[in-house]
Amino acid sequence: MTDLLQRYLAAVERRLPEKTAKDIVAELGDVLSAKVEAREAELGRAASADEVAAVLKAFGHPVIVASRYSGSDHVIGPGYYPWFWHVQRIAVGLAIAISFGVVAIRALGSEAPFDAAFKGFDAAIEVALVTFGVVTALFIAAERTKLDMKWAEKWDPRSLPRDNVRQPKTLFESAFTLVFDIVFLLFWVRVVQFPNELPMRDGASAALTFSPAWEAVYWPVLLLAAGVTAVHIADIVHPAWSRVRSVVAIGGHLAGLAILWVLYQSQPLIIVTPVSGADPVEMERVMRTVDSVVNVSIGVAALIWVIAIGVEVRRLWRTSRTPATPSQVMV
Amino acid sequence: MRYILCVTHCMGHGMPIGPDIIEALRLELRRGTLILAVLGTLRSEKYGYTLKAELGEAGVDIDEGALYPMLRRLETQGLLTSEWREDAKRQKRFYRLSADGAAALDQLTAEWRRMNGALDSILTRSSPKEGGQ
Repeated sequence: MTDLLQRYLAAVERRLPEKTAKDIVAELGDVLSAKVEAREAELGRAASADEVAAVLKAFGHPVIVASRYSGSDHVIGPGYYPWFWHVQRIAVGLAIAISFGVVAIRALGSEAPFDAAFKGFDAAIEVALVTFGVVTALFIAAERTKLDMKWAEKWDPRSLPRDNVRQPKTLFESAFTLVFDIVFLLFWVRVVQFPNELPMRDGASAALTFSPAWEAVYWPVLLLAAGVTAVHIADIVHPAWSRVRSVVAIGGHLAGLAILWVLYQSQPLIIVTPVSGADPVEMERVMRTVDSVVNVSIGVAALIWVIAIGVEVRRLWRTSRTPATPSQVMV
Repeated sequence: MRYILCVTHCMGHGMPIGPDIIEALRLELRRGTLILAVLGTLRSEKYGYTLKAELGEAGVDIDEGALYPMLRRLETQGLLTSEWREDAKRQKRFYRLSADGAAALDQLTAEWRRMNGALDSILTRSSPKEGGQ
């Protein structure tokens, strides 16, 4: 046996399971020796190192040859693969939404928001990658242990959502809105605070603060925001439309309209107080502007919610023409 | 094969399918049948080289890189038995069908014949279309 052949077999042996390595290598040694001898018979002389190397190269790289004896050519097999991507989508989507939400909050509350954002992005991407790695590791373990997947057979076609009623939300849409939900919730419970100083002419400034009118709607707004966040989390897990979603959305929009009505009747909603060197005339102008902005915002929000209620009512009306099973209503 | 090519060509807006796709389909088609060919050939004892040669003579070419791991897998599954023995002044590993392997071969052969008959019937029925394309 030539030195080259011995080195080749040693390279294969290193990559084989210890229990069977010697046996496999002995057989490969016989096969390859026979091939070299056949080549020598063709040439009518001893094979050169280059000619032996050509035989070995044609047989395959030691990594490839050894891998054929591993008994498995995939890390996650076809039985688990569709579920792997399904779970990855949810897990990584939530990880991105939460970690980028935290980054956004820290950046907004920081004195150097851009620096904080850039530093935070690294950590957020790391969280997403770690999540991907953990889910991958769990599925590899499931594949290796042949985890029972019978639970996946427990589904009912009648419980499938009516995707034709509304396009399912994309992961990006859901994650993006979830970031804003988390930022708003943390702002509302005063975990984070945003700068409220409004620069004015000639270096003067004014502070904008919520008026006491907001205290009356503190808990309703908090509950509504928490509900909207829960719905957006549910969108990531189950992005398609359902009747329950529609009813919840209508309820949420009606609650939003009620809150707007209370706020509209309790003006002023924003109190403008001078911070430094503000001219009384200029202050008056700022207060009028802020009042206008508040009123227009209330009007626009009310209009959007009224339209949204109309859209959801229309979806429910369209689907009511086709009778649904109880399980569809439960989705 | 010509029928598959033609149908795919027509459905693919005039774009002929690539040779890599045909090769992948061909490999997929052959994968299961190779095991049947190996088991069938090992009714009588053989070592790797003679097994490969006999398969080749019968028109079933198999890469050695795939053959030896397959033999080991079939032995692990209890379908083959093997022993080292000297032949032509060299130690060789001889394989043959085990009792379980022979039973499995009978079942697989019956399944193969059933499928072959069904496919033959389908392909015979579809052959007039081939001429019409």
